[in-house]
Order: sequence, then C-alpha cells, then structure tokens
Amino acid sequence: MRWLFSFVLATLLAAVHAVSYTGSRLLVVLEDAAEKEKYGVFLGDLESRGYHITTESPKSDKLSLFKHGERAYDHVLLLPSKAKGLGPALTANLLLEFMKKEGNILLALSSENGTPSSVNSLLLELDIHIPSDKGAVVVDHFNYDSTSAAEKHDVLLLPFPKALRPDVKNYFGGEGVIAVPRAVGQVLGNDSPLLAPVLRAPSTAYSYNPKDESDIVEDPFAVGAQLNLVSVLQAHNSARLAVLGSAEVLQNAWFAEKATLNGQAVKTANRDFSEKLTSWTFKETGVLKVGKLLHYQDEGVSKKLNTSGALPENNPQIYRIKSDVAFQVELSEYSKTHLVPFVPADSDVVQLEFSMLSPFHRLNLTPISKTANATIFGVSFKTPDQHGIFNFRVNYRRPFLTNIEEKRQVTVRHFAHDEWPRSWQISGAWVWIGGIWVTVFGWLAFVAVWLWSAPAEKTVKKTQ
Amino acid sequence: MAPKSRAPATTPSTTAPTTTTASTPAKSSKSGSSSAPQDILTGIWNNYVNKTPSRVKLLDTFMAFLVVVGALQFLYCIIVGNFPFNAFLSGFSATVGQFVLTASLRMQTNPENSKEFEGTSHERAFADFVLGSFLLHFFCVNFIN
Repeated sequence: MRWLFSFVLATLLAAVHAVSYTGSRLLVVLEDAAEKEKYGVFLGDLESRGYHITTESPKSDKLSLFKHGERAYDHVLLLPSKAKGLGPALTANLLLEFMKKEGNILLALSSENGTPSSVNSLLLELDIHIPSDKGAVVVDHFNYDSTSAAEKHDVLLLPFPKALRPDVKNYFGGEGVIAVPRAVGQVLGNDSPLLAPVLRAPSTAYSYNPKDESDIVEDPFAVGAQLNLVSVLQAHNSARLAVLGSAEVLQNAWFAEKATLNGQAVKTANRDFSEKLTSWTFKETGVLKVGKLLHYQDEGVSKKLNTSGALPENNPQIYRIKSDVAFQVELSEYSKTHLVPFVPADSDVVQLEFSMLSPFHRLNLTPISKTANATIFGVSFKTPDQHGIFNFRVNYRRPFLTNIEEKRQVTVRHFAHDEWPRSWQISGAWVWIGGIWVTVFGWLAFVAVWLWSAPAEKTVKKTQ
Repeated sequence: MAPKSRAPATTPSTTAPTTTTASTPAKSSKSGSSSAPQDILTGIWNNYVNKTPSRVKLLDTFMAFLVVVGALQFLYCIIVGNFPFNAFLSGFSATVGQFVLTASLRMQTNPENSKEFEGTSHERAFADFVLGSFLLHFFCVNFIN
C-alpha cells in the first residue's frame, strides 16, 4: 500500500513539476476551431509539457480571463483572428490587468489578418510599435527561403539569437535556422527598460507593404536590426509578454520544413524555437527564487548558521556601527522541471546594497557554495560609521530573468558607552591624562603645603 | 600706561623725562622707556615680595603652575591635533577649573578682601575649595574615560 502511495505521490509531483513555475492553466484564444489543426504539433508539445489547455473563441460568452476577481488562467496564448476586435473579454485593459496579476501572455501577430484594436492599444501602452497598415511584412532579399518565397522574399531564415549582451543569459539559443514567414516587424521604444528584443531582423531586412504599388519603398516603417521579429516585455512584477511577429512560426507547416537558404538546403528548427519561446514566456525558464537570507555578526569564529530552509529566518535585528557583518543569500533558478543553482552570466554579478535611503555599501556577492538546487552567495563587510535604520537589499533585475527585490531591515546603533576604547588605549590622549594627574598631584602638594604653612597666620587671622 | 606707572615711580626716573622732553621728544621717549619699565617692574616685584602674605604667594605659585600646565596641554592640542577630544577637554578643563577654584580661594583668603568676606572664615573657604577640587577631579577623570 505504501509503495502505491509513494508512486502516486511521485507521479503527481512529476506532473506538478513538469510545467511552468507559476501554473499550468493555459488559455488559447483562437477564433476558428478549424485553425487549431494548423497548430496541432505546437499545442501537443505544450500539452505534453503539462499544460492544461483551454481553447476559446474570442466571441465566446464564457471567455473571461478572471474568475471571482482572480486569474482564471495562468497563461494566455493569443493567436491571430480575422475579426477586428477581440470582444469585451480581451480588451487592452483586461489584458494589462491580467499581467498585473502576474499572468503571462504570448501574442502572435500575423500580417494576413489585421491586428485587433485591443492588441494594438496594448502594444502601444507597452511602447512596442507595429506598422499601422494591414499586410505590412518584413522582407529581406538576402536571408529568404528560396523554396517557398522565391519571388516575394518574405519568408526569412534566421539563425537562433545570440545573447543580448555579454552579461545576459541566453534562453533562446539553439542550432539550426528559424523560418519566419510574413512577419510583422516591431520597433521597441527607447524609454522602457522592461523591453528586450529576442529575435532581430538582419541588417538587410525592411518592413514593406506588398499592397504598395510603387517600385521603390519610400519611408519604410523600420529597417535592419531596428525591426524585431520577436520581442518580449517583463513587467516589474515579472509578468511576461512575448510578441511573436509571425504566428506561422508556430504552425505545423513550418516546424520541420525543408527550406533553401542561399542555395543550401536547410531544415527549419521552428519547433525548437517555439519551445524555447513558450517555455520562457510561460515561466519555465529564467525564473529566480530567493531562498534563505542570512545575516549575522561576524565574530571571527565559525558558528552554526541557520541555513536550513525548514527553520524560519532568525537574523539579528540590531548591529553596531563599524562592526563586521556577514551576509548570505540562496538563489535558485527554475529550469523546466526543477530548481537548479543559479549561476549569473559571465560578466554579471549579484550585488548587495546596505542602504539607508541611499546605499552606503554596494558589494558584489560571490558564490560561496552550492546546494542541490541553490547557489549560496555571500559577502562580509563592515557596517558604516552611521547609525540608523538600514536595509540589506538585493535588487537584481536583468533582462529575461525574473526580478529579485529582497529587503531585510535592521537597526544600526552607535557605540554603547562601555564600547569605546579606554583613554589610555589611545596614545594621543596620554599628554592630557598626564595633564590631569599633574594637576591632581600639584593640588595635593599645594594642599599639603597650605596646611603645613598654616598655624602662624591662621591664629593671627582668627584673632582678627 | 605711562602716566599711571609714573605715579609710583621713584624720583630719579621722573627727572630724566623732564630734561629730555625739551630737546627731542621722539628720542627721549625711547631712552626713557628702556630704563623706566625695568624699574617699574622691579618696583612691582619688590612690592609684591615684601607686602604679600606667604599664603597668597603660595596660591599665586600654584596658579602660575596651573597656567603653565594648561598652556602646555593647549599647545599640544594645537600641534598634534585634538583627536580624543574628550581627553583634551578634560585635561585642559582640569587646569582651568583648578585655576578658577584657586582664584576664588585667593579672593576669599586675601587679607585685603577681609571686609567683603566677613561671613566666611578661611577654614570654611578652604573646605569649599577642597570639596570643589574633589568634584572637579572626579568629573575630569570620569570624562577622560
């Protein structure tokens, strides 16, 4: 009986773990049920990864992102629809509200269907700009698939993206080429730090509307690497939104298709890429978790630390100025099925701030040790010569990683009256110590002489 | 200063300026001041040595000693810096406070002031002085930590 129970538990755990970090309820918004066939393999992949997929039409009365004021789904996949609007259940406001409640959205655009107005205003709100005219596609005369788009050059074949910056981890890398047919290019606003490009168009690409009759493209929407074929946004609450320029990337027809790039036969790796994109968007990768946070007075002797996750944090509330303090934090990264020790990108570090209004210390945390599923980062430092209410603060915000903002408040007191060094321990004070004792002994000598010299005069004075 | 000091001065010194004022006032003042102040100072000193009671002399010696000790401490503070500032404060104020207490003892025990301090006997003044000094030393030693 017992083995049965543990077996059931293990399978349940596996089922629970084999999905996103935040939940497995996925809503696929698809207007035409017949279209579902086109995405069969993609949706099958998601299901096999443990998502519970609900497919709804935007016109459906039952469709609602919320139930009793809470999210009814954890993730939303918006596939393009022919209708101009998405109905009352999917307005831009509701989609934003969904993200405010930490729901993730994967938005697939299509140049064949116009972008619904609610999606348009949502993207505008997030500072992602798409061409306003229906049918504008990204064209490249160098990196196109000559099998399927020999004339139109609108099926782009691109390698997997590299890391955005050297200090950012790459969650979208892979082998092979991605076919991006008839994509809607996006331009990211400069002001938002939350936006990040995933797949950029090559420098020879440009956005072009085939309905334009003119031979020369005048004033294109955007050109070159300005154009993003896939871009993402991660909100402050770590809710994720991915904008995929071409929904066709997810279709069966392109998952493992033979294509020709500059005369060479290649096979598209869209299945791999869509798996990477969805697993990032639906929080299977790039999710950071803060474990135990420790800080303690560093007294130079090794002591038993309260590192067990089962015990509550029991950190001191108060420190003295100019005392040695050690800090440790456990960071884990969720990787598809389980938590693994978090390792920052090569030229990146996690930092600790010891701050009162502004940081007095901003220190690099170094990995001290690793447990089965967490890296322990730590640093030792001396509290500043300033008393007040301080915070141990770890504020780690990087593209593609969920934000970490952890604070522990402590009081930093000044020296107690008996903690100051005694006067004779400071050699500078010796002269003044001498001064006092010379005065005292001089006074004693004076008193002695005064009393000794007294009688004769005293009697005289008394008689007066 | 000159008219004041002239009054107690001895007769030979007064004759010298009167003769020289007629001829050259600038020169006379120089030659007169070089000899007169010395005489004045010695006069004051002699007066002090002869007329002051021995106990007041003792007080004055002690006060001079305190001034020297205090000045040395202050000089050290200027040259080396005031790092343990409480040490400087207590060391320096010990001498200053002792000086003030001794000055009040001198006022109360000086026979010339006996009219003003008729109510206080010398023993009483001295007891006050000892008590005040004890307190002062206690505070200074505490404050220097």
